[in-house]
Amino acid sequence: MNQTAKTGILTTDGIPLKVSLRRAERINKFRAFALVLPLTLFIVITFVIPIIAMLTRSVDDKQINTVFPKTFELYKQWDRKELPTEEMYATMFGEIVNADKRAIGKASTRMNYSKSGWKSLIKKSKRKFKKIKEGPYKEQMIAVDKRWGEMGFWKALGEMVDPITFGYFLNAVDLKYDSNKKIIRQPENRRIYNYTWYKTVKISVLVTLFCLILGYPIAYLLATLPLKYSNLLMIFVLLPFWTSLLVRTVSWIIILMKKGVFNSILVWAGVIADENRMQLIYNETGTLIAMTQILLPFMVLPLYAVMKTISPTYMRAALNLGAHPMHAFYRIYMPQTVPGVSAGGLLVFVLAIGYFITPELVGGADGQLIGHWIAYHLKSTLNWGLCAALGTILLVVMLALYWVYNKVVGIENIKLG
Amino acid sequence: MFKLIKIAFLGAIGLAFTATAYADFTFVSWGGAYTMSQQKGYIDTWGPVKDGSTKVSVENYNGGLGEVKAQVESGNVTWDVVDILPVDAINGCDEGLLEELDFSSWEKAPNGDSFLDSIPENGTGVSGTISPCAAPQIWWTYVVIFDPKAFPGKKPKRMKDFFDVEKFPGKRGVHTWPQAILEMALVADGVKPNKVNKILQSTGGTDRAFAKLEDLKGHVVHWSAGAQPLELVSSGEVVMSIVYNGRAGAAILSEGASFDYIWEGQVLDGDWVAIPKGSKNKAEAIEFLKHATTCASQAEQARYITYGPMRSCGNDIIKKNEPWFHNGIAVLPHMPTTKKRMKKSVVTDPVWWADHNAELKEQWAAWMAGNK
Repeated sequence: MNQTAKTGILTTDGIPLKVSLRRAERINKFRAFALVLPLTLFIVITFVIPIIAMLTRSVDDKQINTVFPKTFELYKQWDRKELPTEEMYATMFGEIVNADKRAIGKASTRMNYSKSGWKSLIKKSKRKFKKIKEGPYKEQMIAVDKRWGEMGFWKALGEMVDPITFGYFLNAVDLKYDSNKKIIRQPENRRIYNYTWYKTVKISVLVTLFCLILGYPIAYLLATLPLKYSNLLMIFVLLPFWTSLLVRTVSWIIILMKKGVFNSILVWAGVIADENRMQLIYNETGTLIAMTQILLPFMVLPLYAVMKTISPTYMRAALNLGAHPMHAFYRIYMPQTVPGVSAGGLLVFVLAIGYFITPELVGGADGQLIGHWIAYHLKSTLNWGLCAALGTILLVVMLALYWVYNKVVGIENIKLG
Repeated sequence: MFKLIKIAFLGAIGLAFTATAYADFTFVSWGGAYTMSQQKGYIDTWGPVKDGSTKVSVENYNGGLGEVKAQVESGNVTWDVVDILPVDAINGCDEGLLEELDFSSWEKAPNGDSFLDSIPENGTGVSGTISPCAAPQIWWTYVVIFDPKAFPGKKPKRMKDFFDVEKFPGKRGVHTWPQAILEMALVADGVKPNKVNKILQSTGGTDRAFAKLEDLKGHVVHWSAGAQPLELVSSGEVVMSIVYNGRAGAAILSEGASFDYIWEGQVLDGDWVAIPKGSKNKAEAIEFLKHATTCASQAEQARYITYGPMRSCGNDIIKKNEPWFHNGIAVLPHMPTTKKRMKKSVVTDPVWWADHNAELKEQWAAWMAGNK
């Protein structure tokens, strides 16, 4: 009796029950963990790592600092009032001549972001400096290319002297560093990003709103009509959803262009004169129409899923108690659809803000949303720092939206069905 | 019985592997009629393809260096040959994303010119290649076309007519990036085509081009995909448009469309072929490029698309054997590279554009935003 009290209850093989239980639980926990391990790995590899990589790229300026470390040290002491000293020229010369070809190629691409022309200047210099055997270097460098004698190029180094930079983020909102690392605005004829951000958010908000206005009644009909009608209606919603995005986009071009279906019907019906055909495509109107149609199912489906679960007895009770149908709808039915509205709204907004194929094809001069610029810098200028900065801002905008949403509606209220 | 199944199973796996071994040479280009011309012009005629020892799988992409950079940096290079724009060829070579080529043993021209000397012009003012990584492909061009029916009276003939909305009223189709339109603006402003690059690159050159573009403000419909401008012109949405000449040539030669060209002030740009750094079939890829850039291959490609061979010996073959197009129509009237047309063309300077691409793209976007 005494012994049992001291050691606790033992299992048949003499191990205390507590230990045995713990071990069994540990195995279970391990099994459970092993089950979710593939998913965890998948998320880490495809989601967490890329996002971290993106965040680092957006501030990382190391690639250039490894090529011109000594020149940058001298730059910091330079007064920037007149051309650099012979010492700085000589250092630059040495670092260009001794640099690894690939590293200097990357560096020149980077330098070109801060001033157009660096790229060819560095490349030409790397080729021609081989012939220069000894100093003084200043005159000889200027003789190779007169750009070495321009203050503008030397001053442009100022943006890049630190290994960590916020320059890419500044560029993403039409700002930049000057040669003293003070923040200034981009020259007026290059300011395009703020306008693009504004346009992107505006179009996304409008598309979300239009989708809600159009999608709400459709979802309501889908949820309340007898099955044989609602099934047919469902097919009308899903059929375009299953059609290729490009096909739908191009169809809109055919419908909306000046001599297209819509304008021709209006002319035929005598609503507008032949010479007053409306410009409905290759502008913002076209973008809004096409995007609304393409994203509509993403609003209708979550709304429908939520409305389907709302019991009709609540409405009946409200009407029974004497409420006006409008009032009952507004006070009883609508609040119950909020989870669907928020789910659909978020879904459409998130998709719209990153859209770029459709706007580019139907938007004409207005068609370049922020996604276009990310793709452009990713592919054409290889300015992945700016891409990362644009992407990070987009991510932050989304997180901010999510935070506001959580405060106002509460994230537990989101429902996809 | 089990043994039989086992053998069949292993055999199937083996077959699958050899099948992939055959198909692992990858050629990447822009798709559509252009890729088709490459397929018929020099992929199908390449020795290892003809004797069945190699199968070239053709992939499409949308240009730019994004994919190449991702492949090279991750160490998993799956592309062997890529058709590439001059700007990307220069940038890619600088950044070490493309293999450097040694052209000394490549095919000479019949007149004895070395391989590089048989490329007479490349936009930078010297002949030869623009970058040690790039082998020559074709000249394509941004050219203005119009539907002759849209102008019953006087027809537009010169670049300045494209910019004159009073004499030739109606909208113009222009692409959504700055290349070529700036050069065209200078031609319209009275600059001789062969002086355009010099003026554009001098101080105030781009400002002068943008100032000329003011003439078009409010009269432009912007397009972003190569098929759009043809549709814009034939549907009457615009009266004239800048197009890729190969698209217009295909529409006229193969589909019987009626477009007229304004050749003056056309802006030539090259397409080059290159090998991504670290390609698993580098030796094979070099052999392939040698074949793809022979005078005969260059001419053969022009049977299927109206882009001009970059090596002049290709042009000579076409001239001698007209009608050259595959359906028996003369191709030279649609070729941008005849001597007469070259004289009034601008050849875009890829080195300068590689420097100024981002800056001018932003300026052009700002211009478009104000163009309403």
